[in-house]
Amino acid sequence: MESVLLPTLTKKEEIDRIINNTIDKVLVLRFGRTSDENCLLLDDILEKSARDVSKFATVALVDVDSDQVQVYVNYFDITLFPSTVFFFNAHHMKLDSGTADHTKWVGKFHEKQDFIDVVEVIFRGAMKGKMIVHCPLPPERIPKYQLLYKDV
Amino acid sequence: MATLEDSFLADLDELSDNEAELDESDGDDAKKDDEDIDMDMADLETLNYDDLDSVSKLQKSQRYLDIMQKVGEALGKASDESEKGTVLEDDPEYKLIVDCNQLSVDIENEIAIVHNFIRDKYRLKFQELESLVNHPIDYARVVKKIGNETDLTLVDLEGLLPSAIIMVVSVTALTTKGSPLPEDVLQKTLEACDRALNLDSARKKVLDFVESKMGSIAPNLSAIVGSAVAAKLMGTAGGLSALAKMPACNVQVLGHKRKNLAGFSSATSQSRVGYLEQTEIFQSTPPALKSRAGRILAAKSTLAARVDATRGDPSGTNGKALREEIRKKIEKWQEPPPARQPKPLPVPDSEPKKRRGGRRLRKMKERYAVTDMRKLANRMAFGTPEESSLGDGLGEGYGMLGQAGSNRLRISSVPSKLKINPTIAKKLKERNYAGGATTSGLTSSLAFTPVQGIELCNPQQALGLGSGTQSTYFSESGTFSKLKKI
Repeated sequence: MESVLLPTLTKKEEIDRIINNTIDKVLVLRFGRTSDENCLLLDDILEKSARDVSKFATVALVDVDSDQVQVYVNYFDITLFPSTVFFFNAHHMKLDSGTADHTKWVGKFHEKQDFIDVVEVIFRGAMKGKMIVHCPLPPERIPKYQLLYKDV
Repeated sequence: MATLEDSFLADLDELSDNEAELDESDGDDAKKDDEDIDMDMADLETLNYDDLDSVSKLQKSQRYLDIMQKVGEALGKASDESEKGTVLEDDPEYKLIVDCNQLSVDIENEIAIVHNFIRDKYRLKFQELESLVNHPIDYARVVKKIGNETDLTLVDLEGLLPSAIIMVVSVTALTTKGSPLPEDVLQKTLEACDRALNLDSARKKVLDFVESKMGSIAPNLSAIVGSAVAAKLMGTAGGLSALAKMPACNVQVLGHKRKNLAGFSSATSQSRVGYLEQTEIFQSTPPALKSRAGRILAAKSTLAARVDATRGDPSGTNGKALREEIRKKIEKWQEPPPARQPKPLPVPDSEPKKRRGGRRLRKMKERYAVTDMRKLANRMAFGTPEESSLGDGLGEGYGMLGQAGSNRLRISSVPSKLKINPTIAKKLKERNYAGGATTSGLTSSLAFTPVQGIELCNPQQALGLGSGTQSTYFSESGTFSKLKKI
């Protein structure tokens, strides 16, 4: 099985370019650092399913330690790593998975199939013109976390 | 060819034995004029068909003797490489090779004539042998071995023929219609066999000579197929230029032996390779690829022969390059196919769902279709208020159901296509049977109740419970009470 490494983005221009260039496909951006164990697990799943969803999705990794991307980190309010943000035709897609934050997916996926299901639901919703979709996974598969609001 | 014509005329002469030939010759005669008939008949009679020499003249001819002598000499002495002239056609050795090729073709024709001769003579003794043993030289050998013998168990045919054929020959000999030949005919037949075998050995000698010279005559061709096969091909084609003029499909079947396996079907063994079968390349390919290899060998060797015919490449490098090409191609065929990559998933909702129709779907839909009763109940008349089950507009409306003139309140007698629960179906059947002529003897329309005593109409029946005495054991519509899977 070939392991084409997912593109890792470190510069703001790269992120802009990839968001604008991905047409009619879901863009999956993972924000995280390679030293984190959760991140590595998530990356593994992303790599394995990248080829399967390649017809309707593109996957890319963003290294959160580089300074140029801090703009985006602040814009999306990413505090917990890894976080995954979904785009479609330069629109930010929201995902209601029963957690507090709908703008991103925090944590890892339990299985490859879970990830593929989420991407498919996002694609379907986006093709219908929706901006927010409902997550198809059962609650036990969704990683739970506590959102800190202004460090409270 | 002169000798062939003579042989055909000689065949026509055989009027006494074969009626088929009689008809043929009659037909032929009818075409000629009357005067010619007399003259030809006279000529034919002068041809003494009994004499072998009148039929097969080659071995006595001067040309044959000359060439055989030269071949003998050349085989004896060592070849001198530097004697090659600048123009090939002037080289005496090349001329000899060309003559040898022509001679080998002539010898083959001659062998065919002698074979006919032997066959005609031996037909009186053992007619079926000619169809069992096809090859002329083998036939000659077998005839020589058998001679005038009637009992084939005394004759040892080992080594001459494959054992299956020997068996068939022995069995056929038991039931043959022939009779032993007279002494002089037998003598002539054996002489003819000897002649055939001599011709065959002469041909072999000629081919050996050609083979030894093959490296200088046709270097490219012998680089691909080897000198022995190249010599054979040239010998059968009748020269290098004749071989070069042939299309590749003909070259492929040059020297193809017809293996008539005495009754076995020839549909399975359809190998269309002749002498090329003996080449090293062909022998070393796996059986599955043999037919393709035969085709490519024939094609490339034809190209090499054409190069050699025009002396375009005396060193033979072209031939070596072609051989390498063939080897590479055969190797490529044997490569395993590339491993399959897992396909990416299709885009969601890109392929519309295929809805199927047809009789089966229609039948399934009928079970849940709206019935006629329901249709009538849904329809309402204009101007008249609808009747309803509880009266005054309460309850379910009846619509057109039960209107005067229509008899649709009752259940129609056509069996409904709607699906009914099996337990309810059973109860309905019971209810219907209760009034029938063939009811069970233990059913009763009386009921014993604690309050009223004996009742004539059974209130339980209206509720659908049936009378308590209504037995299920003797029921008409009952099934097995205990079912156990074996």
